[in-house]
Amino acid sequence: MEFSFSASATKIITSTGFSNLEAGGMLMLVVACVMLYLAIWKKFEPLLLLPIGFGCLLANLPMSMMANTDAGGLLNFFYQGVKHEILPPLIFLGVGALTDFGPLLANPTTLLLGAAAQVGVYITLIGAVMLGFNMLEASAIGIIGGADGPTSIFIASKLAPHLLAPIAVAAYSYMALVPLIQPPIMKLLTTEKERKIKMAQLQPISQTVKIVFPVVVTIVCCLMLPGVTPLLGMLMLGNLFRESGVTARLHETAQTHLINIVTILLALAVGSSMTAESFLRVETLKIIVLGLLAFSIATAGGVLFGKIMCKLTGGRVNPLIGSAGVSAVPMAARVSQKVGSEADSSNFLLMHAMGPNVAGVIGSAVAAGVFISLFGDMAVPEPHAALEGIIGTVEPGLTSAIAQVAGAMQP
Amino acid sequence: MEASFLEAVKVSLLSITVIFTVLIILIFTIKLLVKMIPYVAPPAKVPHQQSTAQSSIGSQDEHIAAISSTLTMHLGKSPDEFRIVNISKL
Repeated sequence: MEFSFSASATKIITSTGFSNLEAGGMLMLVVACVMLYLAIWKKFEPLLLLPIGFGCLLANLPMSMMANTDAGGLLNFFYQGVKHEILPPLIFLGVGALTDFGPLLANPTTLLLGAAAQVGVYITLIGAVMLGFNMLEASAIGIIGGADGPTSIFIASKLAPHLLAPIAVAAYSYMALVPLIQPPIMKLLTTEKERKIKMAQLQPISQTVKIVFPVVVTIVCCLMLPGVTPLLGMLMLGNLFRESGVTARLHETAQTHLINIVTILLALAVGSSMTAESFLRVETLKIIVLGLLAFSIATAGGVLFGKIMCKLTGGRVNPLIGSAGVSAVPMAARVSQKVGSEADSSNFLLMHAMGPNVAGVIGSAVAAGVFISLFGDMAVPEPHAALEGIIGTVEPGLTSAIAQVAGAMQP
Repeated sequence: MEASFLEAVKVSLLSITVIFTVLIILIFTIKLLVKMIPYVAPPAKVPHQQSTAQSSIGSQDEHIAAISSTLTMHLGKSPDEFRIVNISKL
């Protein structure tokens, strides 16, 4: 074998990432750095945005084989947990272990506030259709209004995997902005007198009810909407670990180590899907706008339903707790407390708002179940095994699929 | 799957109806549960004198344990070789 210094040097230079860096990749590296800045210095959901941002950084380094579509790459393996709907339900297991459903059980009518907040999902679905998305894509975008990260990822990976990256980033970014987005809407839709309403103390709940509740919810909801079983089932299992009192080790593991490990894997997998090809598109801008619309309308829907409940109960329900019907636990409940205390510093709404807040988790899971029931069988099918090695994941749409296959077949 | 505005509205109305139906059923289920399994307040705490007597018995056990371990160390014997059953003031 003859050794040529110049040929070898050229080979080394051309094999570096610098020689393969493109404009789109450079822009995504900047986007990744912005996300890291927001996570670390502005403290925007750092537990999620930091690994998402770093996953994005790794995926956009040329020749790193760290994108979600790079078969055999590390993050491709992590992404299988998203693609096969494993990681989001495990996050819900941890969420269930962390959640106290006591305030909801003490005042179960607050489940209606969790339902009302889901109106943001469907107004956004209509908006997405008007902007040119198909029904599956619009459903995946609309679920951002549920303000639930794992649910958004679960539905996006099932119905519109090519939109997973912008949907996940929009969902988690807006969840971090809940304290900024919600208060102006809450103040606009309520009067000073309504904000000052004090609610009666919550009745105590038997521990036996708290133990039976997760089992009953699983049976009732999953029989009606089987598609919701992975999410709601795991949520309720985690809660049963918490309330049963006989699984202290499992409870501790679920609410600490498990949720932390799965968060790392999930966030890296989501970040790895933020490649230039999937993220730098006009659809991403539309999704970001629609995501803001979803959150705003969800807040408004919850507050307006809270006003209806206030009227029907003769003023016993403070409409501010309606805004907590979005699933951002416990941030949305804290925002209700904060806005309520601005009107009357002796008004403590936090525990009352926790009822609709955790109801929103159930409500968004049920909304996801409805989408799966309606569209689950129309989702993008797995490519034929013989083609998968050649073309990878097939994007939906006949035109793009043909272009993808044609591109792969070129010598 | 192409979609029209009207289809989106129909899907939205149907879905909201389903969500409210499921959650209303859940509300009634929870209310039934709470009614069937009412909250029972925990029993009242033991009066102070009784608890003082119990604590004095408990403290004598602790004294016995402390004296036993001290004797064990001082005499170089195993705790099984002697037994203190009671202590009283002279």
